[in-house]
Amino acid sequence: MSTPARRRLMRDFKRLQEDPPTGVSGAPTDNNIMIWNAVIFGPHDTPFEDGTFKLTIEFTEEYPNKPPTVRFVSHMFHPNVYADGGICLDILQNRWSPTYDVSAILTSIQSLLSDPNPNSPANSMAAQLYKENRREYEKRVKACVEQSFID
Amino acid sequence: MADKGDNNVERMDNENIKPDKMFTLKKWNAVAMWSWDVECDTCAICRVQVMDACLRCQAESKRDFYGKQDCVVVWGECNHSFHYCCMSLWVKQNNRCPLCQQEWSIQRMGK
Repeated sequence: MSTPARRRLMRDFKRLQEDPPTGVSGAPTDNNIMIWNAVIFGPHDTPFEDGTFKLTIEFTEEYPNKPPTVRFVSHMFHPNVYADGGICLDILQNRWSPTYDVSAILTSIQSLLSDPNPNSPANSMAAQLYKENRREYEKRVKACVEQSFID
Repeated sequence: MADKGDNNVERMDNENIKPDKMFTLKKWNAVAMWSWDVECDTCAICRVQVMDACLRCQAESKRDFYGKQDCVVVWGECNHSFHYCCMSLWVKQNNRCPLCQQEWSIQRMGK
């Protein structure tokens, strides 16, 4: 049955295909439009460059009034990504607006890779290295870039 | 030979002088452009034109007494417009304009 949330997601998918933002891609899973798979390519001139990071996005029938649950499937080493792949990003929590769509969510996460916020850490080790030992941070990030080609 | 050549030149000159029309206007099609008199013509919440019924009303094919779809537009004090249906669901959880984050208060409603 087609619900408002599903119809909105059809529109999101259409927009993502007609006007694809650079460095991100996403599509609903074969038999459930409420669950999407997405890929974010590591932004240039960051330690994440060349990485292909996979995510899942899960929507509820309350979308777009409630944000979806977005999670990295690929292993990440980032100050704002939890060990289970969960993402600490204000627009996916208290700063959510129903005007966001899949395209906006993915580009926001992409820019979070370039600009971590070490002051609200989800991975305290990554946050500490980002602030105090950038070389070691980049080394750990490069390792998960390599890992992203496999998983 | 020389005469013949001169004549040719003269004839060509005469042809050029003849006041020939460069073109004739045969058909004129006027084209007009129009758009709804609103700042944003698409509801940023459901992404349907504000003058059409919102996604929810389309799905439920909700109709008023006259058989027309009853899905009105609401303008905030910030001048942003949305479907009333979309906005009334959103303000229940956050009374701010989804586009500019200003406190939401209704300026007017209608079509």
